[in-house]
Amino acid sequence: MKRFLRQNSLGLVFGVLFLVVLVAEAFAGHADFNQQQLTEGLAPVSFARYVTSASFGADVLENWQSEYLQFSLYIFLTVWLLQKGSPESKELDKAGRESEQEQKIGPHADETSPRWARARGIKLWLFSNSLGLVMGLIFVLSWLGQSIAGVAAYNEQQLGNLEDPVSWPQYLTQPDFWNRTLQNWQSELLAVASMAILAIYLRQRGSSQSKPVGSAHTTTSVEG
Amino acid sequence: MRRISVAVLPLVAVGALTGCGSVAGREQAASAAAVRLLTAVDGKDGAAACAVLAPGTASEVEQSGGKPCAEAILDEDLPKPGTVTGTRVYGQWAQVRLSDDTVFVAVFPGGWRVVAAGCNPQGDRPYDCTVQGG
Repeated sequence: MKRFLRQNSLGLVFGVLFLVVLVAEAFAGHADFNQQQLTEGLAPVSFARYVTSASFGADVLENWQSEYLQFSLYIFLTVWLLQKGSPESKELDKAGRESEQEQKIGPHADETSPRWARARGIKLWLFSNSLGLVMGLIFVLSWLGQSIAGVAAYNEQQLGNLEDPVSWPQYLTQPDFWNRTLQNWQSELLAVASMAILAIYLRQRGSSQSKPVGSAHTTTSVEG
Repeated sequence: MRRISVAVLPLVAVGALTGCGSVAGREQAASAAAVRLLTAVDGKDGAAACAVLAPGTASEVEQSGGKPCAEAILDEDLPKPGTVTGTRVYGQWAQVRLSDDTVFVAVFPGGWRVVAAGCNPQGDRPYDCTVQGG
């Protein structure tokens, strides 16, 4: 058990932190929502109603979609794009999808390779792109969810301002939708660009995301 | 089966009054508040009309009329209660469309209350309402 926990600590710790922070967000969001309700003289809502509300849904999903977009882009673009000196980049002569031998697929698969790495056709294509495809799918679904929860939350505000509610297609052209979306995208892209570049010159001893402390700034694709 | 329905009835009533419940139940409760206001004004029952107004709307009616809400509301030029043609509920707010009026209602501690009535659309701007909260 102890060994299992240690060997899976990265996924487990982040999973638990996610749940703790999500619950904390729900409590903070509920308090904030009810503060606004009381300011307007409206009835406070229960915790159960808040966590099933469009307002909470849109707040959660707008962050999810941007995180999954960030990882999907990173996964796909690092196939072709390079960054000299960065541990986040592949070696400078390896841009592209690489050979079957380098990727250990088809006849080059070994006995430890997953079964679908030995397959051909659609199975191999799917498995070869499964990480990016699943992350991309979660991004699309989260963004769709954001737009659906967002239109309901937006319409609640519209009614509070004595204005007509809008339809879902109309909401997709509203500044509210794009403001929620783009403010998250820009921060994710900044974080990725910072990581790719700062990791050329800066180190974090022992981290898999950093080069070894003594590695040269020009060394690419080496992680500690 | 019958016993279950009877047992559930009070819950539905509480839900409708407090703004909770199913989407259909909430639509019904919201439109009932709008109809109650217009019916009370049409029947010259000012007290009943003010009872269904949101607190801010009732005090705005009093201030602008310079007399108690129950009297001032009857001077407002509100249309007769027509047929409800559609109700849209989003969160704690709803818009009730009637044949001759559009009414905005919201959930207050006492249940659904009318925030604005006698409302006319102004294009992209907020509705212009005969009665509305401050």
